Amino acid sequence: MNTYYATNLLVYAGVDIIACLALNMQFGVSGIVNFSFIVFQAVGAYTAAVLSLPPDSANGGFQIYFGGYQLPFPIPWIGGAAAGGLLSIPVGLVVLRRLRSDYQAIALLVLSIITNAVITNARPLLNGAAGLALVPPPFSDQIDPNTETYQFLYVGLTAICVVIVFVLVNRIVESPYGRTLRAMRERELAAMAIGKNPVQLKMTVFIVGGVIAGLSGAILVGFIQLWAPSVWLYPETIILFAAVIVGGRGNNIGAILGALLVPVGFEEVTRFIPTTIGPPGLIPALQWVAIGLLIIGFLWFRPEGVRPEPRHVFEGAAVREETG
Amino acid sequence: MDLYVAAFGFGLVGMSVIAIAAVGFTMQFGITNMINLAYGEVMISSAYVAYYLNKAGITIWVGMIAGAVFGAVFSFLLNRVVYAPFLRRGTSHIGMVIVSLAVSLMVANLLLPIVGYYSVSYQDTTGGLIRAGGIVLTTNQIAIIGVAVVLMLLIHGLLRYTRLGKAMRATAANPTLARNCGIPTGRVIDAVWLITGALCGLAGVVAAMNSDSFAIANGAGFLITALAAAVLGGAGQPYGAMIGAVIIGMVTELSAAAWSPEYKEVVAFGILVLVMVLRPQGLLAKRGALAAAG
Repeated sequence: MNTYYATNLLVYAGVDIIACLALNMQFGVSGIVNFSFIVFQAVGAYTAAVLSLPPDSANGGFQIYFGGYQLPFPIPWIGGAAAGGLLSIPVGLVVLRRLRSDYQAIALLVLSIITNAVITNARPLLNGAAGLALVPPPFSDQIDPNTETYQFLYVGLTAICVVIVFVLVNRIVESPYGRTLRAMRERELAAMAIGKNPVQLKMTVFIVGGVIAGLSGAILVGFIQLWAPSVWLYPETIILFAAVIVGGRGNNIGAILGALLVPVGFEEVTRFIPTTIGPPGLIPALQWVAIGLLIIGFLWFRPEGVRPEPRHVFEGAAVREETG
Repeated sequence: MDLYVAAFGFGLVGMSVIAIAAVGFTMQFGITNMINLAYGEVMISSAYVAYYLNKAGITIWVGMIAGAVFGAVFSFLLNRVVYAPFLRRGTSHIGMVIVSLAVSLMVANLLLPIVGYYSVSYQDTTGGLIRAGGIVLTTNQIAIIGVAVVLMLLIHGLLRYTRLGKAMRATAANPTLARNCGIPTGRVIDAVWLITGALCGLAGVVAAMNSDSFAIANGAGFLITALAAAVLGGAGQPYGAMIGAVIIGMVTELSAAAWSPEYKEVVAFGILVLVMVLRPQGLLAKRGALAAAG
């Protein structure tokens, strides 16, 4: 197997795992249906891009954007993560405070569609529909990005981020705080009655998820070196939802499994179908149809997913039942 | 100034198109308690049905009726085959939103290989120009306004003066109580999907007529404007949706004159955000967005 193919696959898998872990924390554990997840990934990617790109007069000025600070490696990634978190604050304040949960979902969906339309049409901001190209990858001034060593270095960096995110999300989900989040998901009124503040809980989860989403975007843009509105259309969020639903809502291992099965698996399987069959665009279109079928099929036949959320049972009660 | 007078004329047409779409959407939500995110895709599918008839040489007015019939049948089947089984299982509101989004994605992508990526437009005479004090509209646009007014009156008559309308309002208010009073809520809901589906299909054809050209990608935009008008008026309230349509239609057209037509949907979204921040229950609703989901 080709090294570039393998490293490409591994980096994509890492980015999808990070995104699915964050979405699982928001949707699976806390019940926030974040239909604009991809926007937070996009803002991280754009931020990382403008932080690492030279000013837009470089390369003959063929693209226009603001910023262009040429900052060295860890800063663009940290900046991308921070931007994801910062954007979550106003969005969360508008959407999560007063609205009913299904309204929250549609508001976020509309936000995702509109943000994409604005960035596509407003060219001076981030180069419009063409997007940003030639984004310098991390350490590109020290190591040639086209070498195998560099490819493995990037896989290593991605893996480190996956581990950090997994440990962080696991700590949140498996702690008493995670139990509070699940209580809010199951019955918000009951959680309020025992003194939990659902708005505060949702805002925290929304912002932490936004930070992780921003980081995933920063990792991706450093690797593929370009970012345009066409890569973060709202159906991309639906793929991540499909992954979390298939893997198992509320289960971190399930989220990882879902990330490997749906976004990565689908891309790889369809690679082997010749694109010459049928009218142009048939295979990609059918791929989306399959994603829709996957969601509906799983929600109907196995709503708990491949790896269901573990049931948290108070052990003392079980013991007493046995003896009594 | 002339620009704004002309924009006012376009606003009248715009609000008519949005009113048909928004009333259908809001009635679907109000009576069946289901946010159907596939609404925009059903609209665009119906627009394509009319397009193919139109291409075969049939006038667009017949195409409009065909679009309405198609929308009605499509929506009815969508409910029977997908939504109703999930609802019977007790799927949550959120679960239904996800299901309808998945359906929307599937409809759009099943359609894509059939109709292609490129924008199309109806081959029909747009009719003569009619001028009235700076407002210039084609006869087709006048006809759209007329269709919308007639439809709104019909909806008003249906809800106020017929047994079916009364049964619909009862089902919307409390489905269990309505069933206990002997109202066949199942059949009422079937009727609602047929009627709102017809409105949806018709709105799709009218919206396509009112834009220079259309493509599959427009489905999302159709959904956003209908959604904005419905939420502004108070979701589930047909009269609220009419008021919402008037405001959204006028504001978006005037903003297009003042700013750029590319941002019409952005302006609709801006209104949506303002409503959600300032008055989430909408202009008319008593409960609306604030009530806890079941």
